[in-house]
Amino acid sequence: MKRIILPVLLVLALASLAAGGNREENTITVWHQFTGVHSQVFDSILDSFNETTGKELGVTVEGVYQGAANDVLTKVKAAAGSSGLPDIAAMDATSCLDMKMSDYLVTADDAGIDTSVLLPAAVRAFTSERGLLAVPFCCSSLILYYNKTVFDEAGVTPPRTIDEFTAIADKVGEKDGDGNVVRYAFAGTPTTYELGAFIGAQKGLSYMVDGKNGHFGLPRKVLIESDGTFRNFLEHWKAFYDTGYVLNTSDQMNEFASGRAAAMLNSSDSIPSVERLTGGRFEIGTAFVPMTDEEATGGVNIGGSALFLFTSSDAVNAFIEYLLSDECQRMWAESTGYLPASASVYEDPGFLSFLEENPLYRTAVDQTLASNPEVTGIWMPSGYQIYHTYQSEIREVTENGKDIDQAVSDMAAFIQLQLDDYNRQNSTAQ
Amino acid sequence: MLTLSDMRTENGKAYVLLMPSLILAVMFSFYPLVKSVAGSFLTISQQGEVRGFAGLMNYISLFSDPAFPASIRHTLLFILMFLPLNTALTLLAAILTRRKTRWGGIAEYIFFMPMAVSLSSLSLIFREMFRGRVSVINQILDTDIAWLDSPGTALLVLAFLGVFLDFGIDYILLLSSFRRIDRNILEAAALDGAGNLRTLISIELPEIRTMLSVTVFLAAKDALLISAPVMILTQGGPFRSTETIMYYYYLEAFRSGNRGAESTITTLITIIAVIIMAMIASRRKNDWKNI
Repeated sequence: MKRIILPVLLVLALASLAAGGNREENTITVWHQFTGVHSQVFDSILDSFNETTGKELGVTVEGVYQGAANDVLTKVKAAAGSSGLPDIAAMDATSCLDMKMSDYLVTADDAGIDTSVLLPAAVRAFTSERGLLAVPFCCSSLILYYNKTVFDEAGVTPPRTIDEFTAIADKVGEKDGDGNVVRYAFAGTPTTYELGAFIGAQKGLSYMVDGKNGHFGLPRKVLIESDGTFRNFLEHWKAFYDTGYVLNTSDQMNEFASGRAAAMLNSSDSIPSVERLTGGRFEIGTAFVPMTDEEATGGVNIGGSALFLFTSSDAVNAFIEYLLSDECQRMWAESTGYLPASASVYEDPGFLSFLEENPLYRTAVDQTLASNPEVTGIWMPSGYQIYHTYQSEIREVTENGKDIDQAVSDMAAFIQLQLDDYNRQNSTAQ
Repeated sequence: MLTLSDMRTENGKAYVLLMPSLILAVMFSFYPLVKSVAGSFLTISQQGEVRGFAGLMNYISLFSDPAFPASIRHTLLFILMFLPLNTALTLLAAILTRRKTRWGGIAEYIFFMPMAVSLSSLSLIFREMFRGRVSVINQILDTDIAWLDSPGTALLVLAFLGVFLDFGIDYILLLSSFRRIDRNILEAAALDGAGNLRTLISIELPEIRTMLSVTVFLAAKDALLISAPVMILTQGGPFRSTETIMYYYYLEAFRSGNRGAESTITTLITIIAVIIMAMIASRRKNDWKNI
């Protein structure tokens, strides 16, 4: 018998270890995706909370890096099944649909967070039929990064529309004697995030899927084909690509920073990384995202992450309140390129003079204030798959001459397939 | 002579001894498998709630997603690149070092090395070596290729990484097999005037062929199930060109929480595995005793 007891005990011991996690009562755990500068700043915020408000309340906040934003979602979903959830997790728009459907989320409204201090557009970005899902904290928006040195030498200003970019592509791009491109005008293949603006801004406001981009109810129908928005984008983009100065890549950051591309689209919170990678080799400029056409006036959506709560307590609320304080928001925004989530920071003289002195950081703020707050991020299932399929279709159209109508209908069919499959398995109202 | 009751106690003892592994097998293999097969015919929400009988809908959904057949294609392509490369290189290394020589140990040590490096760190090293156009590899080869950013080359880099991961174990298996060949035969051949090459082709290779097929099967299994290196090295990119079956499974099951796809793919993979195991078993009947 002994021989059996031992392995059985071993298994039981392992199982109890795996189930693990005697969480301390007075610790708030925050899962996040911050690296580099962002993680340093976030840690310093946690430290200062722990030393002040935290000390008074007897709580300690602990930040745990859990990989990229979508890795955090993967881990949250896995943890939900084993009661290993953190108190708070920072996740982006791709998590919203799953979180909305989950029964373990404590919405910001349910937690009784004071949302009156928040920027309306930031609230709108994370609002669903369940109310405000999460607390906007690291909001960002897409901006155009350009090589100011090159643009100035060519005597051009950043393009306002894709067509304008097409017109100046050969001025900011460069070829050597053999006709090989040594500097592209633009590097990157647009996908969900970029199309959130390129499609969302069309006709003042357009959606990718119904339910206001899946914010209200489950998205059931893809709209990019019937509204003609994806087709419109592809036509302008194909013309831009055909200048020969656009590089399809998913590594636009390195292409831009090394000077091999004169412009790229990226999130405003990448400013510190872009500055570090560029290392002063040339002057960086930031500008509004070029519009798809003259009627695409909707602007950009608020991207970035929000804090999803999984427990409700006074301590959690006190911590959130601390994060949303003007002082904290300003520090966070000024050192990371994130947009302040609190409305009053936008009128704070100190912040305004910071923007005056740091025009790179100013673009995202101006652009967000000028955008239609109804232009929001897309909440749909299979975010990863759709992200990469967009890139594949755009690459097929630009590089391999795939018919635009075919690409539009293939893309729409792919998204519709994901929606149908998700609804089939998860919708309660059949 | 054994009586019936003797046999009962004998059997009873055997069952008792079998119990621990049986319990583990049922808990961690059979139960999840049965659950998956059943799940592939049910509609289950992301929260794990069974909503009804799905018939073949899960299978239909899976095959109507163009990315799934694509992932099968990528896996087959990967096997086609990886398997010959891996077999040729490990066999070559084993052939070159099969005789014990004074300094041969150094070469052996180098060839064993990949075994001591963990999968994820090796993947990270590869990622850094092949990153961007200014990559270390481009500097060494004097090329200008965005290895991980173009579909064809990314899969090739993955195949090379695969070779590194399997090299150590395959090499050890082949080397030990070479060294276990009866020396008398080799000496007899040498006395008869057989050269090195003749001995290798006519005596040594036929002697190790069983082990060679074992390493090929092992490598084929690893290739069929490859996922972790994909996760770290390419994340399925660029443009979903390196998504293998298991990576696709990871995306659907863990990223998207698609329970239908999860159990359906598990069922299909199990069927493939059973077929492969049957192939190995049939070989085993003929060859296993020779190892």
